Amino acid sequence: MMDELELLKKDWQKQDVVHPKLSYNDIHGMLWKKSFSIVKWIFLISLIELIVPHFIYLFPSVWQGDGNVLYKNLGLANPLLVLSVIYYVVVLYFIFQFYQRYKEISVLDNARSLMAKIIRTRKTVKNYIFFSLTMFLMMFMAVVFYIYINDDFINTLELSGKDISEISKEKLENIKFLSMLIVAAAGVAMTLLIGFIYFLLYGLLLKRLNRNYQELKRLEV
Amino acid sequence: MSKELEHNFVTELESNQNIVHKVCTLYTNDRDAHNDLFQEITIQLWKAYPKFRGDAKFSTWMYRVALNTAITLYRKSKKRVKTLHDDTIFFKIKADEYDPTEEEQLTLMYKAVKQLNDIDKALVFLFLEDKNYSEISETLGISEVNARVKMNRIKNKLRTILNP
Repeated sequence: MMDELELLKKDWQKQDVVHPKLSYNDIHGMLWKKSFSIVKWIFLISLIELIVPHFIYLFPSVWQGDGNVLYKNLGLANPLLVLSVIYYVVVLYFIFQFYQRYKEISVLDNARSLMAKIIRTRKTVKNYIFFSLTMFLMMFMAVVFYIYINDDFINTLELSGKDISEISKEKLENIKFLSMLIVAAAGVAMTLLIGFIYFLLYGLLLKRLNRNYQELKRLEV
Repeated sequence: MSKELEHNFVTELESNQNIVHKVCTLYTNDRDAHNDLFQEITIQLWKAYPKFRGDAKFSTWMYRVALNTAITLYRKSKKRVKTLHDDTIFFKIKADEYDPTEEEQLTLMYKAVKQLNDIDKALVFLFLEDKNYSEISETLGISEVNARVKMNRIKNKLRTILNP
């Protein structure tokens, strides 16, 4: 075997470009092409994660429409404001941390350390996603809670102009319970779905990197 | 200034492109993927070039960036179908004199090397490029002892592939 590898080495040193040799202009043309490295992908996906949820506020219906009125009627407007402020402080912290980690990534590092840094950067993103999803779920649960403690919840819905007094108390309780159940179920389902998509995306993107990193790490144990 | 930098870089890469081609041939299976990886390595080299101080040889510096790109940063831009004839670009055997046994042996060896995993290929690549274990360990970020141990395991692996 040793001989064969040495034979290969001898042959290898004589290897010329098997590929058509690239000219000065060919190479020059590549300099300003877009990179599609994993790091670039992580960066782009993180940017989308940060921006997309905020598009929701661009829809007029959210800030002047029924949604806001409903929150107000439910007495949720203030707690939501406080929650939003906390949310943005934490988001800013994540952006800062992400930027720091991202800056540390250098192609001039050795392979193992480069991989470790990319994985660390991704962990920041992962934590951000956990945080966002928790907040997302909490919003739903807050609505459920307020429906629960607000007796006049049904009034806020303005049920198709019907006189509330016509509906029996038992029926009202049922509607209230059903609403809570629907909001809770929708919250859990949407959180799980978004979470699943995120982790599938990252899992696929970093499958090879993780495998290579494990391989290098296993050597050092 | 930047024009000069650009010119120096392209000139250096043009004369050292063989190294990058070898990495591409080792890590990809068809011409499109080869070109794709070559381009990504070029971009990474160019982005890192301002940090290249010239205290090392340009080619030495290239090994690290090229391998890092191939085993860590590179991600195929589109799903490629693995064909049975995945040796469209393969290493050209250059035996000094025509020797059918030696040529066959080399072909089998190259095929076996291409079956190794990403990290093993990196070690074999550096070994074939006549890098010593200290350089191999520095490039991959493992200890020298482990690089030796790993290299021995790879030799065993190749032996198994060649003599199943």
